[in-house]
Amino acid sequence: MRALVVEDDPDVGPDIVRGLEGAGYKAELVRNGEDAWFKGDVEDYDVAVVDLGLPRLDGLSVIKKWRANDRSFPVLILSARGDWSEKVEGIESGADDYLAKPFQMAELITRVRALVRRYSGHAAPVLSIGTLSIDTRRMAASLDGKPLTLSQLEFRLLNYLAHQKGRAVPAGELAEHLYGAEDPDDTNAIEQLIVRLRRKIGAERIETKRGFGYMLADADR
Amino acid sequence: MRTYSLRLRLLLGATIAIFAALAVAWLVMTWLFERQLERQAEQELRRDALELVADLKADPNGAIPMLEGPDDPRFEKPASGLYWQVSGPNGAQRSRSLWDQVLPKTPADALDWRTQFVEGPFGHRLFLLHRIVQPEGSKDAVLVQLALDEGELRAAGNQFAQTLALFLVLIWAALSCAAWIQVELGLKPLASLKREIAALRLNPAERLSAAYPSEVEPLTRAINDLASAREADVKRARQRAADLAHGMKTPLAALAAQSRLIREGAMENSRTASEGLDRAIAAAAAAVEGELARARAAASRLNHQDEKAAPLKIAQGLISVLERTEKGMRVDYRLDIPETLRLAISEEDLTEILGPLLENAVRFARRNVRVASQSKDGKNLLSVEDDGPGIKMSEMADVMVRGVRLDQAGGGHGLGLAIARELVEATGGMITLGESPLGGLRVTLSW
Repeated sequence: MRALVVEDDPDVGPDIVRGLEGAGYKAELVRNGEDAWFKGDVEDYDVAVVDLGLPRLDGLSVIKKWRANDRSFPVLILSARGDWSEKVEGIESGADDYLAKPFQMAELITRVRALVRRYSGHAAPVLSIGTLSIDTRRMAASLDGKPLTLSQLEFRLLNYLAHQKGRAVPAGELAEHLYGAEDPDDTNAIEQLIVRLRRKIGAERIETKRGFGYMLADADR
Repeated sequence: MRTYSLRLRLLLGATIAIFAALAVAWLVMTWLFERQLERQAEQELRRDALELVADLKADPNGAIPMLEGPDDPRFEKPASGLYWQVSGPNGAQRSRSLWDQVLPKTPADALDWRTQFVEGPFGHRLFLLHRIVQPEGSKDAVLVQLALDEGELRAAGNQFAQTLALFLVLIWAALSCAAWIQVELGLKPLASLKREIAALRLNPAERLSAAYPSEVEPLTRAINDLASAREADVKRARQRAADLAHGMKTPLAALAAQSRLIREGAMENSRTASEGLDRAIAAAAAAVEGELARARAAASRLNHQDEKAAPLKIAQGLISVLERTEKGMRVDYRLDIPETLRLAISEEDLTEILGPLLENAVRFARRNVRVASQSKDGKNLLSVEDDGPGIKMSEMADVMVRGVRLDQAGGGHGLGLAIARELVEATGGMITLGESPLGGLRVTLSW
């Protein structure tokens, strides 16, 4: 696993590299925005940790440039400012997660692991069921080539169903996957989610198998 | 930048106004004096005329006999400037001073003395008095004319005008001096004001004295109020700095203690020591975070009030951030906000208010977080709700009391709520806590 660390602080940068290497990553340290832009553009990384206040080119611009060049590795932003406007701006620039300074190294490692897991778990980054396509890396779905506006929860529901193609998934299993724990009340919540998802992608695409659960159908056949 | 001097303006204004007034006075007085001279000359000419007419007889055939003429010797001296002439249908008599010249004809219809200016002999203009007279024992009227050279009148007038001008220039100079003194006296309080303000800058506790004219007093009072406000600000800032310093002292003491534990080298203590370090760092971070929130709140107080933030867009942006977190991605978000809704607050402030509230909601929510807007009594309310455990009523009051330790109040809701509260209050809004129909806490905001 290769990680790019972009941080100009002489203490924090090497510390992150040490932390990531301790967690089994092969980490490279870059100290300014221009080098970061170049490195990220020409080499393949599994994850990048980017500080926002950088010399020469600020972190947000670096991320925007990578994304404009179709570099899709996950990016974790670090910032000392820590206000919400900056977090929103960071995510809108194409970053995937945000960590405010001061942070605990363990927290950073957890976040990086979560990002890598989220992005590397799938053999095929894009799943297609008829005209419905699911980009598991970007966490975006589109129907007939038009992007769908899905919430995270809706996307994760759709994604899970897509991975269980051809199998009816019980509501309890969906709840466990989505919420991490089973709770009798959650079947209701799942039902509501299914209703919302059907409204967005078309009711015929999610079939209800009575007594078994929900199944994603290729409605275009 | 154009600079101008109050003193120069006042002085220039005063001298020009005085000059204009004196010039008008000079013109009017000179004119009046000339009229007066003319009246006087007319009186004298009339006296001479009566003397002349007293002797006037006509002989039967209408010829005018030799006349004595008035006493004034100038009538005898050629071209002296004083003339008379009596002309009848058959010949005329003239003063010797006329020599070989003739007074010009004037309309023979004046039955009383009249005066007028005419072009006369020797190329001079004359001030002429004339009337027609019916001499005793004659049936023909004779024209009696007496004239005075205009130059004599003008000479006196000009001399008067010159003397008057000299005098008025002196008055002008004196009045300008007076104006200058007046301006200096009038502006004197400003000079002492300047000195006192300089002293005020050196010592913020200093105040301007009350001994100012009533026109300047509103200014000095305003400056004193400003100085008091500034002093209070500085005091508050110092208090804040002291608070922050105290807030950092406890974590620092804890850090020192842990450091000592580590140095004393008990390896089995290293785990608890590092946990202690982390706790101290978290406490310090909370203190700094709270102070930053206050600083932001203070800055937003300076913002303009007519700003319009779109809560839907802001909530969506914040949710896109929260969805990246482990907990956030398991929460179902509902946004019941019309797209067109705008609130009178800046986008950045609303982001910083909704951010911690939504973060709290996500942290405590079981499954659902809702951001909704309602309209009530013409006000737009914005609420953030979750289906978590909520806060007890008794704790709600605590969270809203100023000065409660941010990280301890409200069962973990504290810091986020306190940050949001500071900002809401700084932007002139209201924040209230309540129970949500979802089961957890509902925070309602309004501006």
